[in-house]
Amino acid sequence: MASAPARLASFVKTNHRYVLLGTSVVAFIGMLFSSSARPAMSFLANAFAVELVMYYLCAAWLVVSVVALLFKLTHWKNYAETAPFAKPAVATGLRYASYVVWLCAAVLFVDRAVMGFASAWAVAAAATSMPGDMLTQILYMFQQGRQTYLTGAITTIELAVFGTIIAFFLALLLAAVRILEIDRSDNDFVRFLKKVGVGFAKVYSTVVRGTPMLVQGVIVYYLGFAIVSSTGMSITEVNGIWTRFIAGLVVVSLNSTAYMMEVLRGGIESVDKGQMEAARSLGLSQWQAMLKVVFPQGIKYAIPGLSNELVINIKDSSVLSVIGVFDLAFAASTVAGIYYKQLNAYLVIAVFYLIMTAFASWLLGKLSGLLDVQSKPVGSTSDAGPIVEKAEA
Amino acid sequence: MANEKYAKIAATVAGREYDPANPVTVGAADGFSQISTPADEPVIRVEGLRKSFGSLEVLRDIDLSVMPGQVVTIIGASGSGKSTLLRCLNLLETPDAGHVWFHGSDLAADHVDVNKLREKIGMVFQGFNLFNNMNVLDNCTLAPVTLKKMTKAEAEEVARKHLDEVGLSSFVTADVRRLSGGQKQRVAIARALCMQPDLMLFDEPTSALDPEISGEVLNVMRDLAAEGMTMVVVTHEMAFAKSVSDELVFMDKGVIAEKGDPQKMFTDPEHPRTREFLSRYLES
Repeated sequence: MASAPARLASFVKTNHRYVLLGTSVVAFIGMLFSSSARPAMSFLANAFAVELVMYYLCAAWLVVSVVALLFKLTHWKNYAETAPFAKPAVATGLRYASYVVWLCAAVLFVDRAVMGFASAWAVAAAATSMPGDMLTQILYMFQQGRQTYLTGAITTIELAVFGTIIAFFLALLLAAVRILEIDRSDNDFVRFLKKVGVGFAKVYSTVVRGTPMLVQGVIVYYLGFAIVSSTGMSITEVNGIWTRFIAGLVVVSLNSTAYMMEVLRGGIESVDKGQMEAARSLGLSQWQAMLKVVFPQGIKYAIPGLSNELVINIKDSSVLSVIGVFDLAFAASTVAGIYYKQLNAYLVIAVFYLIMTAFASWLLGKLSGLLDVQSKPVGSTSDAGPIVEKAEA
Repeated sequence: MANEKYAKIAATVAGREYDPANPVTVGAADGFSQISTPADEPVIRVEGLRKSFGSLEVLRDIDLSVMPGQVVTIIGASGSGKSTLLRCLNLLETPDAGHVWFHGSDLAADHVDVNKLREKIGMVFQGFNLFNNMNVLDNCTLAPVTLKKMTKAEAEEVARKHLDEVGLSSFVTADVRRLSGGQKQRVAIARALCMQPDLMLFDEPTSALDPEISGEVLNVMRDLAAEGMTMVVVTHEMAFAKSVSDELVFMDKGVIAEKGDPQKMFTDPEHPRTREFLSRYLES
């Protein structure tokens, strides 16, 4: 596989057939930016002539593309031979021209979008009351409520990371119990224990996966509260021990345990039976064979599914705001409550969640790369098979 | 008192009265690890073995014994029960009825520590079954180290010796998934040998290999037989069966149809089914 930078370099440095179509889209976007209102910080406001030239360069590109398209429609069969656009020299010229168009579009993007954002940010920072424009409103609410959002984000990360780690170990334990089989040599007591263990794992998985986490959150929090209260402590003391955060962490851990157990079980069961047989034939006990041979391989198969659990926990911990855990969702509802702007407050945390999940996915992708987990693409849609990239020299 | 118990069992198996002054076998404290078998006593003896999978009767009343140093080859059509019989010998399949005596201990008895017995029975599979999460050397040292028969350093020394015997001394740190089929199977043999078994079971070791690569595995097995290893081999390699084995067993529909001297069976089989099965080889 060619690396991403190498692919990008070859995309930029070689002539390819999509230069007209691809750059047309970019040129059109550049024209759209140029047609939009100038923000306060726009630097092109002082250089109207420059912007005019850029605008018409984009327009000219569109005209050339339309001509090429018409030519292609009329010379469908022999476009490659007859079209002037397909001649190597012209294609190279078009490639250089496309650089100019991309540059124009980029400048227009910076002038309108980036500078627009910066202007809005500055206005929001200076504002003393709710501004009128929506982007400025969002930024104003973000700046005013940033401490709240930050606290929420940290709590969400803590819940997801610690919850996933705790759940992983619990799930490992539960998965080991879940796949127990009764051996011929087991005495009645061991048989009983194994049956109870397997039964517990099954019931646990069914109950936890069969009820919403929101409901589990309420039940765990208030049940835990009642239990701690029954020791005779005052409400303040109970609140000090059975905090909302701890209750939330317990809920995320217990919930994720059930899902991770199923993922692990799938991974372990997909390990070839022969691995176990070979280990047993050497004299290893069932348990030793599991620990040294089957589990390490099964966990490796389960890594994509387990990684997914972290991403899910980042998002799904949001339901815990129902029991008052101060996570991102709780922060959003707090901020929304102050300014009576629900949409704005939740758009902010949407970005937060997106950044966190994207980062987690990227990190876990790196991790599974280190552990040599190979995914096999099977998504080819034709009999010819997908493109296999040639190894680089 | 464990020694005496096993010695008694062993004596009964050998068909003698138990005599404390002259025990048939000498067991260590754990009962098995140091049992030695006199040359006139079978390493493994099967008696009235039966096995069914659901309503399908795979093995019916199998009797078989393997003497020390003997190479017994089991041949027969697919589905005749060869592999199941082999897998019953180290209890990868649990027999429904009958006995498997290994060094005088009945494997089918409930109280027997199967793991201890399996340490002395090496097995080589058709599908190699090397541990994919380890390199070649770790495949070989896992069992000796885990079962505390050796320290890591000792186990590695033994493993290197056996890997050298099978001609893979330069692949010690290789990833097992990158090896060829023949190399994999030779690692599997070395892995089994690292436990210093008294008996080696081979379950169609060359069926997944092309004829050229089969040769390298068969050569290793031939050497092993020449060194006096007791072996039970299930195979479709008739040349190997004819030249290497001391006793040939032909199985048909879950029973042993015929057994005896391989030379005789390849020239003048008694059972009509054996004649039919070996018809291609009889003329040559």
